[in-house]
Order: sequence, then structure tokens, then C-alpha cells
Amino acid sequence: MRGIITYIHRDFLKWTRGKVAVFSSLVMPAAWLIFVGLALPVKFTGNYLDFITPGILVMTMLSAGLSGGALLMFDKILGFLNKFLALPTPRASILIGKILFITGRGLIQATIILVVALLIGATLISPVQYGLTYLVLFLFGMLISAFATTIALYLDDHDSYSAFNTMISMPLFFTSSALMPYDVMPAWLAAIARVNPLSFAIDAVRDVTAGVFPALPILVLLVLTAIVLAICMQVFRKVTI
Amino acid sequence: MNAIETDNLTKYYGDLCAVNHLELSINNEIFALVGPNGSGKTTSVLMLTTLLHPSEGSALVCGYDIVTHAEEVRSRISYVPQDMAVDIKLTGRENVRFFADLYGVPHARERVDEVLGIMELGDRADDLIRTYSGGMRRRLELAQALVHEPSVLFLDEPTIGLDVAARKKIWEHIRALRKKGMTIFVTTHYMDEADQFCDRVGIINNGRIAALGPPMELKARLMKDVITVRVDGDCTPPGLEGVVLIGRSGAEVTFTAENGREALPAIADALSRSGTNVRAMSLHEPTLDDVFLQAVGQQQEPHGFSDAKFRIMLRRRK
Repeated sequence: MRGIITYIHRDFLKWTRGKVAVFSSLVMPAAWLIFVGLALPVKFTGNYLDFITPGILVMTMLSAGLSGGALLMFDKILGFLNKFLALPTPRASILIGKILFITGRGLIQATIILVVALLIGATLISPVQYGLTYLVLFLFGMLISAFATTIALYLDDHDSYSAFNTMISMPLFFTSSALMPYDVMPAWLAAIARVNPLSFAIDAVRDVTAGVFPALPILVLLVLTAIVLAICMQVFRKVTI
Repeated sequence: MNAIETDNLTKYYGDLCAVNHLELSINNEIFALVGPNGSGKTTSVLMLTTLLHPSEGSALVCGYDIVTHAEEVRSRISYVPQDMAVDIKLTGRENVRFFADLYGVPHARERVDEVLGIMELGDRADDLIRTYSGGMRRRLELAQALVHEPSVLFLDEPTIGLDVAARKKIWEHIRALRKKGMTIFVTTHYMDEADQFCDRVGIINNGRIAALGPPMELKARLMKDVITVRVDGDCTPPGLEGVVLIGRSGAEVTFTAENGREALPAIADALSRSGTNVRAMSLHEPTLDDVFLQAVGQQQEPHGFSDAKFRIMLRRRK
């Protein structure tokens, strides 16, 4: 536990001292929301902003999680990871520290989006609904950042990591239910979208805003996160270089 | 109980044998593993610091097996890789405190001040590492490594890339640690440093220890004067009695002779007779470089990236 907090503290200090990184990570999602949410001419819903906000929230967690894997990549390239692995501190705390930091940073970005969405005309929901939204985003963030951090452990350099990042994030986003509901999608896209983990998170957030408790999506996310986390922790425990 | 004890420690990367049945016992001394690039130095250190599993054999560090009791080993050692990994956006104090917290050091605040003081970084402790010189960064890494009072310290190329004054300072600190009872295992390319500052030297080549002992003893084993001849092109070794060819490194051919002063003109004559163009000759007492050359034989240029060539160039410039 001590190790986890120490690792998070380090990443947090490093993040807050890079001013450009903080600024860009806060501006990027807001830009998405404004340009896509207000600009696309759609006819299937009255308030497209309310429809797309869950999609942008989950996309933000996705890109925060995937780009967060680069943190471990740099620790590895610059030689920090070797030092950390030679410490008596449980190695799983390297992973958990990274996951919590990346997810936490993603949730800060998600908060900015929620605020901007309200400012430009989204509907206000109840505190319980916001709480559930954060729970879904937290689970999804854990899932993606555990996956990304473990992939980074195995890839050789930052170039291949960013290639992996691009390869994963774009298709995942566009084959999800982020931009349009299933019934307006072409059939082949709807088939893919229904099994896309991104859609589970997006649908869960949409259910929450519609006043439905998303039991099934949350359960699926919970199980998926638990499995991925267990595998990743085992990988970190056993890793040699 | 020895701090480090290896028993047939071996590592294969596919077919390549990086470390070949290493047998070492090391205790409260500064032990230097020296050898050309790709000779297995870093692989040995990685195995002893539990970061790599051996393919065969085993090793005990502080009495604990490096595979089955890795956790115990890790809590008794410190490892400083050659990359110089310190967070440049953090201050010196934050960098050391980070390691103190990871080790769970009691009274962390006082201990951090203490090690920063030992490494003469006390007055710069609250500056960002961005502003530190290479030598200071290396000392900061030593401070990080010392914060939990390890029994064994592993240093991979501790002085690489540092200027002469910074290198000397690092070695003074390492000597002081040895005096306090710590065992220090270093790898280095710099023969003169191994000669001057280490208690015992192991020369490793192709994963095998080629010579092992205190530098004085290794040099005494040559027991002869060393003659270095700089030649153009090929060199036919002269068949002179008492003159032994020990190796060639680039344009420099090295011989040993019982009596160097007399052998010098004889070698010069013999070489010119055989048509070798002699540029320069020198006579000196054996150095660790000569021991190395004899143990390792002809220095081969490695394939691909010629890091070794670059280092040989650097060495010649001195």
C-alpha cells in the first residue's frame, strides 16, 4: 500500500510540473465535446449533446488510459523500471500505482467534460446519477490502463507503443455506440458495436442518465476488469528483463 | 558467509551463452568485473540483482538464493544501472525521499538528509535535478541506493560519461562505503580505475572469467616488462628468445620481455628486417590493460554498433 501511494505521488509531481501536459490534457476533451457535440447535424435525437456526452466521457477515459501506458514505457526506456524491479517493494504496486494515477487523471478530464457539457446545454442529472457515472468510468479506466501498462511492459520502444495506441484507439472508438445509436448503424457496424467493451461503458453511462440502473454492463465491466487486473498483476510479479 | 557466492551461474540467450558457468565469492571488498562489450558483465549483474533468472546454476546474495528468495535479496541490495535514471523534474531531496519511502526506511526525513550530506549534495538538495551536473546526478543515485543501508551495492558502469574530477570523487565515495563494511560489485570499462580503486578484479570475456585476483597480483603474474610497438600494416612477430607476443589492439602490438631495455633494440631490428614499418616503441611496467590483453587475446571489433571501438578511441586519446 505504501509503495502504491509513493509511486502515485511521484507520477503526480512529475505531471503537475509539466505545464503543457496538464493544459493539453484538460483542453483536448473539451474541444472534442464542443466541435463534435455542437457541430454534427444529426436527426435521430433532439439533444445530440446529451447523446454524445457519455461517448466523449468514455473516449476520454480510453485515450487517457492508452496514453497513460507511455508512462511505464518511459520508465522502462529511461532505466527507472530496472531500479523499481530490484526494490523489495511488491512489484504489483508499480502496476497498481500506474493504473490508479492514470485513471485518476482521466477522471479529472472527465469532470472538465461534464462541466463544459453543462455550460453548453446538456441536461443536469442527480448526484446519484453522477456517482454511478464516475463508478462506470473508474472501472473502465482501470480496465484500459491495466491493459495498456502491461502492453507497454512488453513492447520495445515508444514508437511501437504509440503505433499500438493509434491502432487500438481509433477503431475501438468508431466501432462503438459513441457517435450513434445501434438502430441507425449499418447492420455490420451494429454487430461489432454490441461486443465492443467501449460500448458497454457508454451504454452504462447512457442508462444512468436515462434513470436506469445499468446492472448488466457494470457486472460485465467488473468481471472484465478483475480478470485483466489479475493477469497483469501476475505478469508484473514474474517479469524479468 | 560471503556476500555474493555464485555456483556455475549461467545464462543463455537462445544459442548464445552470455554468462558461462561463473564461479565467484565476494565479501566486503570492491570487486570489479571488467571486460569488452557483450562479454556478460551486465547480464551477470542483472542475475545477481534478481532481474533475470539464470538458465543454469545458482547464486546466493547475503545468503539468500536469487531465484527462490528474490524478495529477501532485494531488501539487502541496491542496484544502480548505467542509464542515470533520476527524475529531472523533481528535486534532489524528493528523488531520495521517493526511494526512502519505497524501502520503508524509518525516520525517512533524517535519513534522507544524512545520505544527501554523505554525498555532498546537502546544499543543492532542494534544486531541481535539471540543474545538476552528470557527476552530481550520479552521486544522487548513490544517495538513493544508500538510503536503506544495503549490505551489497551493485554499480553498473558507475563513472561512464563523467569527467576526471567527478570520476575520482565517485570512487572516493565508493572506497568510503567499503570501509564501512559494504560489499561493492562494479562493472567498468576503465582499466585504470579498476587498477587504482578496486580490491579485486575479474576479467570476463565471452561470459567466462579469464583472470581473477587483486590488480597487483595480476600484473605481477606477467612479471615482465611490456613493450608496445606502433606499426603500419601487417606485423610478422619476430622469433626472438624471451620475447613473447601478447596481443594486438589496432595498430599497437604488445610484447613482453624479461629485460625490456635489451629487448627493445632487438625487436626493432627484427621487425625492420621482416619488413614491418615501425612508427613508435615504448617500454613500461605492466598495467591492467596488458593483463586484459593477455587474458582476452586479440581484441575483436564487435559486429554492428561499434561501441567498443568508440571506447578504444577514447582510451587512446588519454
